Parts: sequence; structure tokens; C-alpha cells
Amino acid sequence: MKVTFGRYMPKNSFADKCDPRGKLLLLIAYIAAVFTAKNFLALAVVAAVLLVCAAASKTSIAQVLRSVKGVLFLLLFTVIVNLFFYKQGDVILHWGFIRITRQGVFATLFLGARLILLVCGSSLLTLTTSPVSLTDGLESLLTPLKWVRFPVHELALIMSIALRFIPILSDETSRIMSAQKARGADFETGGLIRRVKAVIPVLIPLLISAFRRADELGDAMDARCYSGSKVRTKYKKLRFTARDLAVLFTGAVMIAGVVLFRIYFAWNV
Amino acid sequence: MNERRQTTSYENQALHAPEDENGGSGAIGENPLAVKFENVSFSYGEEEKEALHRVSLEVKQGEFVAILGHNGSGKSTLARLINGLLTPTEGKIAVLGMDAGDKKNLFEIRKNAGIVFQNPDNQTVASIVEDDVAFGPENIGVPREEIGGRIDFALNAVGMQPYRRAETARLSGGQKQRVAIAGVLALMPKIMILDESTAMLDPKGRREVTETVKRLNRENGITVISITHFPEEAAQADRAIVLNRGEVALQGTPDEVLKSEEQLLTFNLTLPRCVKICRELRGKGMNVPDALRAEEIAEEILNNPAKRPFEKSAENMFAAINGADERKNNEFAVECADLYFSYDGGEEHALNGVNLNIKKGDFFGIIGHTGSGKSTFARHLNALEKLPTAQKKYKPKKEKKRKKQAGAADTAVAPHTVLNVNGYDLSDKNTDFFALRSSVGMVFQYPEYQLFAETVFADVAFGLKNFSKTPLSEAETARAVKEALEKVGLSYEEVKDKSPFELSGGQKRRVAIAGVIVTKPKILVLDEPAAGLDPLGKEEIAALLKRVHEDWCETVIVVSHDMDEIAELCNRAAVFSEGKAVFCDSPERLFTQHAEELLKLGLDIPETAKIQRELRSRGVNVQSDLTLKGFVNAAAQAMGYGESRETGGPEE
Repeated sequence: MKVTFGRYMPKNSFADKCDPRGKLLLLIAYIAAVFTAKNFLALAVVAAVLLVCAAASKTSIAQVLRSVKGVLFLLLFTVIVNLFFYKQGDVILHWGFIRITRQGVFATLFLGARLILLVCGSSLLTLTTSPVSLTDGLESLLTPLKWVRFPVHELALIMSIALRFIPILSDETSRIMSAQKARGADFETGGLIRRVKAVIPVLIPLLISAFRRADELGDAMDARCYSGSKVRTKYKKLRFTARDLAVLFTGAVMIAGVVLFRIYFAWNV
Repeated sequence: MNERRQTTSYENQALHAPEDENGGSGAIGENPLAVKFENVSFSYGEEEKEALHRVSLEVKQGEFVAILGHNGSGKSTLARLINGLLTPTEGKIAVLGMDAGDKKNLFEIRKNAGIVFQNPDNQTVASIVEDDVAFGPENIGVPREEIGGRIDFALNAVGMQPYRRAETARLSGGQKQRVAIAGVLALMPKIMILDESTAMLDPKGRREVTETVKRLNRENGITVISITHFPEEAAQADRAIVLNRGEVALQGTPDEVLKSEEQLLTFNLTLPRCVKICRELRGKGMNVPDALRAEEIAEEILNNPAKRPFEKSAENMFAAINGADERKNNEFAVECADLYFSYDGGEEHALNGVNLNIKKGDFFGIIGHTGSGKSTFARHLNALEKLPTAQKKYKPKKEKKRKKQAGAADTAVAPHTVLNVNGYDLSDKNTDFFALRSSVGMVFQYPEYQLFAETVFADVAFGLKNFSKTPLSEAETARAVKEALEKVGLSYEEVKDKSPFELSGGQKRRVAIAGVIVTKPKILVLDEPAAGLDPLGKEEIAALLKRVHEDWCETVIVVSHDMDEIAELCNRAAVFSEGKAVFCDSPERLFTQHAEELLKLGLDIPETAKIQRELRSRGVNVQSDLTLKGFVNAAAQAMGYGESRETGGPEE
């Protein structure tokens, strides 16, 4: 199982016991803070919060950072594009059409740090929260939308099932790839078109299998009397405790810190 | 305390007939039948053939009914009709007296008749055990305070209470299926339908599930309707029903049904192995009535008057076998020493120092329960998992340094690892892995799930085209594909232009195998080639493998849970446990000398070996290979029967 993003690792830590709503709100505050931050010092505040959260959830930094691996390509792509297209500032390297400026390097590093913090923060949430309680929390937070007939419960259920099937489908993908490799398929060499073509023998069985699984899961849910949210009760009740107030407090402090840095320090990047 | 209250109220529920409070029609008397079908027909579309045709049957409350039938006989349709997942096109179904055709009753029926499906992964809704078990009660609106008690009850009933907060993804197949049963039990049903729930499990998981179900039937009075391909499971039921082409073909006690050969054969089913052994023994002139258990057969064999003194010394016989097995051939198809492996470089070792040699020309069996490392080992043979030393980025110096840091405990890259397959050194990164793969065919579990092309022809030709160094002419391709399809027992003209997806399950499997053997690999590795097929499909696969081994693939390596299959096909077999090959021997010796250890590992032994054990415990030594024919001959000979078969009658 290679996918760490979106996987819940129960550790019975402080963070595991927190109300998912508090954690979700903290994540929202965290994301807002990442985007509000204008300099590295402000990002350092956010990173400090991330460290505290990691400690509170008994998760090692290495494990949190591992989640970046999954989006590494996307990250590098964004960062490199940013580096090349940043035009203002003192040129430190000029070669053909490539022009790299000192400010550009700074901005790129800043962007990279931001993205990494974003991915780490969200993956820390999924590492410490079971999909069920995550969706319960989301459902609870979105309750007001029910008044305008928005299918909140259905949305939450779809999300939790999707999360549950990520590892299963990723295992299945590697299984099918192995089988086709054993039949001489080559996924590693050749130009773009050849590579896209090589994916077809994997994609088709994978899609078929996903449909088959969806069908069976639908039957299994029907057979266990699922009929939407009409008469449904909930086994796990969400309880907001002092612990969760601490979580919210952390979020508030972080936002305040970032905003203060934004106002009182002029040397923005 | 919750648990106690729940259990009592559950018992009360089971005692009383359901009240007809939902306005459903058709309640019959005080204690209605669990299930009643009256002339029920069903088809999946107007154009389609009927999946069920005028089926009438009754299941009483508290009964344990097994339903048998070949693939496509309508078994699963039947299960879905009971539960209201499908509605009949004709006829009437009553479940606990409620009309299943009436939409108003649907909820009540589903509450009372739960289904456990085949694939454990596809019926789990939540990722934590207790959340998944809670799903049913939540759906029917059980108040929060009561749900905890129901989870306790259900998990205790299936023996999974210690795993309450475990992740479902980390459980074994048998455990997952028991959680699925608990998920149904939490609804407090009176009827439980098992739709081939054990088909994807290993023998240990299968035993866990069957025992659980039997207990629920005996102790909690739950009506069980079990759809199965395994005769051993059907033998545990009160009654067996055989479906054939959508009709009820045969009904009776499992004893009656499982022993009527002529009928079973016409319904595309096969006799249980034990019954086959009895028949063969009778053919030798012994009086052995059909029986379903090894002990009974041994007893019956000994009830025959012995015509000659019993063989006393076991050693001589063993010596004879030993001598026969040592062939001159000393060339190896696979040489493996000190093979270690862990997924993602983790702490848990999937392989923990495998030492195993497989000779050229062997039909080699690999057995072991799920997670013993046998599939991981098979993946290595095709370099789908590469040794660290064979990886492109491997740098000897760096590795040494890393090992030093990690300390002596890290044995994942033992320097003396040897892995040679068909003459290729898999520990060398300069080996031509592409050439290796073209000479080692690999059939994965459920290979039909990897079919992808528009036509059978294109799918089978896929590997052929990939592996050929020069482009093949159309005629050459067609000839190779034709040969491969005929080798697996399919008609080239009939199937080549069809989509692989419109074939039956057994046919798909054979197409997938054809797609691997089409390159005529020297070594063929198969991971549970017969899993999930009906008995006839299994026999076809066994026959196919024999043919392939005889004239296409020099060495065949088959990973299997089916000990009878191993005994019948293989000349050598290895047992895997905890990432090691713990025993490697001929099936004869493996299943006799190591029988105790195998049983302790939770593995089974072949029926022939069981009878042999029973006979030995009664003082009769029958030494032979463990194939059906070989064993029957030896057993008859030991008793002095069989020699005069051609000349005289069965009895003197």
C-alpha cells in the first residue's frame, strides 16, 4: 500500500480523540493562514502549528512529509513554471529565453513552502481522522445547507466511500499493471503517445472493476436497508469538549499571528 | 449489560412470528415459512433467457439449506429475489409470510433476510469494523443507545469483538467475511443468505466462516440459505437443493443429493471427492457404500474381509517411494536461496529467507495460507518484484553503508541471496528482464479481471506481439492464437471475434490463461488458477494444466489452496509459512509425514491422505501416491482386492 494521503492511521493520540468538526475548522483556518501569509516568518508560525499538531497526533514529521511524495510531480511542475515566468527583479541567470531573477527564486521557494504546508496539513487531518468521523464532521458542519435541500448526507457518504476505496483501487491498479507487465507490456519507455497507449490495458480493466465493485457495494448497501437519510440514526455522536476548544484556540492564535506579521512587517516577498 | 438485554430481546424475537403490521399480504398462520417460492420466474431483460423458470420451493424457519448449481444456474438470482434486490417477473415469493412483490414490505423483508456476498471488500461500507457493523442498525433507525449493544452482540457472535476498532482493510479474508456477517446480524435477521461467501477465502477462512454460520443456525435459530460450490459445506446443511438452468432439479438431504452421480453430472456438477473414492473402491470389488467423510470410508474399507495379511512394515514402502521420486534430472528451473523481501521497505517481511529449488520438468505445487508469502514469492519469479541488487539505481557501496547504519537486524539485502530462474540471474541488474519474462509465464489470481481488448483474438495476441522481436505476420499470429485457444479447450472460430466480456466466467478464465501461454513459456506460474470456479470449471482447469505441462511448458508452478488438486497434479510441493518455505517434498511424503504440522498451520490435507491416516490409526498401512487412482489401487491391493478384476466378478 503505497498511498499515504487519505489513509487513516489510528494511534489513539490526543488528535485522534478530537472532534472532527474542530479539526476541520482548524484546517480551514490553517489553509486561510497559509494563503494570508506574506513572508517566511508568517509561514514559520504556520509550520510551528503543524509541528504542534503532528506532536499531538503522535505522527512523525517524516510520515507527514511522505504525503508530499504523492503530489511531488505536480509540486515540482508548479514551482519550475513559476521560476521561469517570474519576470521582475534582478536577473541572476540569463540563458536563451530563460531568465531567472533573485526575487523569482524567493517567490518560488515561498510558493513551494506554501504548497508543502498545504499538503502536509490536509494529510495530517486524514491521518488522524477516520473517514467516517471526517464525513460525520463535514455533514454536521454543512447542516445549514440541508435547509436549502442540499443533499448533505449523500455527499458525505459518497466522500467516505471514495476514501475507503482509494487503497483498494490503488492495489488493484498495481495488480493489473503487474499482470500486463508479465505479458510484456512496457510502461517505462517510449514517447508520450506510446506511453498513453500502454495505459489502456490497465485503464479498461480498472474501470470495469470499479463499476463491478460499485454495483456490488450498491447491492450490499440495499440489502442492509440503506434508504437515504429518512429514518437514519447515528451511532457515534459528536461531542465538543474542552479539548476541541483548545484546537479552536490554536487556530485563532495562528490566524492572529499571521495577520500581525502581515501588518507589521513590511519586508514581504 | 446492553449486550445481555439485546440477546434476550433477540431470542424473544426469534420465538414469535412476525406480526403483520405493515399491511403486507400473505401471512400464513402462526409460524409462516421462512421463504416460499410459488412458480417464480425471472429474467434480466425481455429479450434475455429466463434466469429462473417456474421455481417452487419452501424453506422452514430454523432450517439450514444449501443451494448447489453450476455457474449460471440461477443461484445468485434466487438469493437476490428473496431479499427484494430483484423482483420476480412471474410468480409469488413470500418471506416470513410477507409478500416480496409488495414494495411496502421491502424494508421489513430486508431487515429480516440479510445477504452476505462473495467479495468481502465490496460489501464493507466503513473503514473501521464497528462503524461498518453499525451501518445496518443506523439505516433502520435503531436509537443510538441501542446500537452499541447490537454491535457487541453481532461481533461476539462471530468472534470478532477484539477487532472492534480495527481497520477493515487490515483484516484477513475470513475475518472480513465474519465482519460482513456481523453487519447483517446487527439487523437481527431471522434469515441469513450466503451467496458464495466462502468462494474467495483460503481453507482457514472458509472454516472460520462455516463454523460461525453453523453455530448461528444451531444456537440462535437463524434460518440459513447457503449458496456454495463446496460439497463439504453443503454436507453440513439439513437439506440441499440443486438448481439447473434456472429450475429446481433435485432436492433432498445432502447425503442423498451429493451421492447421486448420474443426476449431478447431468446438472453440470461433480461428485464430491470422497464419493468418487468410494465408487472407485467399489470398482475394485470392495463393498464401500458412498460416504462423505474420510473416517466413514476408512471404516467401510476395513469392514471388507481382508483377502491377504496387512502390510506391516512402513519403512520398506517409504523407501520404495523415495527411490521412485529421485529422477536423474538435476537441472533447476528455479534456484532460490536466502530470499528476503518486504513491501515498501517496511519492517514486516513478506519473505523471510526462502530456500527452494524447483527442478526442470516439475509440476510444482505451492501451498500456504493467505499472507504466508507464496504469492510474493511467485511475483519474484517473473521479476515483478526485483531484488535490491537488480535495481537500476543499486550501488553496492551505498547499500553497505545503509546496512551498517541500520544495524545487523536488517537482513532485507542479504548478500548471499541467490535467485536463478530458467538460467537468468535475477540478482544481477544487467540481466535481460524482458527476455526472462518472455520465458516465464505468469497467471495471476482471477486473471479474467485483467482482460481488456475488444476481441478475444486481440487479447490473446497481446503478449505475443509484445514479446516477439520481429513483427509477426498475421498468419503467424493467427496460428499461435488458434493453438493457444485450442490448448485451453476453446473453439477458435467460435470465440475469436467475441468480446471477452460476453463469455462465461470459466471461459473468461481460460481466455486469460491462453493469453499467457500463447508465447509457450518454459516456466508457467499460476496463482490459484481454479479459485472461485464451480466444480466442473475446476476440473477443466486441472485437465488444461495437465495438457499444457505435457507438451508446452516444461515446468509448471501452481499456487493453490486445493490440496486435492495438488495431490492429483503435482510431483513436488512446498509449504510456505511466515515468509519461508518450511517443507518441500513429494505430495505423498508431505501429506503423510508432515500432516500434523500442516493441520497445525491451519492447512488441509487431501481426502486420500485423510483416509490413509485413518487406516493407519487402525493398523493398516497403505502406501501410495495420493492421486485418486493411485490411492484406490494401493488400498484395494493392501486388502487383497482388485487383482482379479478382469477375470472374475467383484465377489468370489
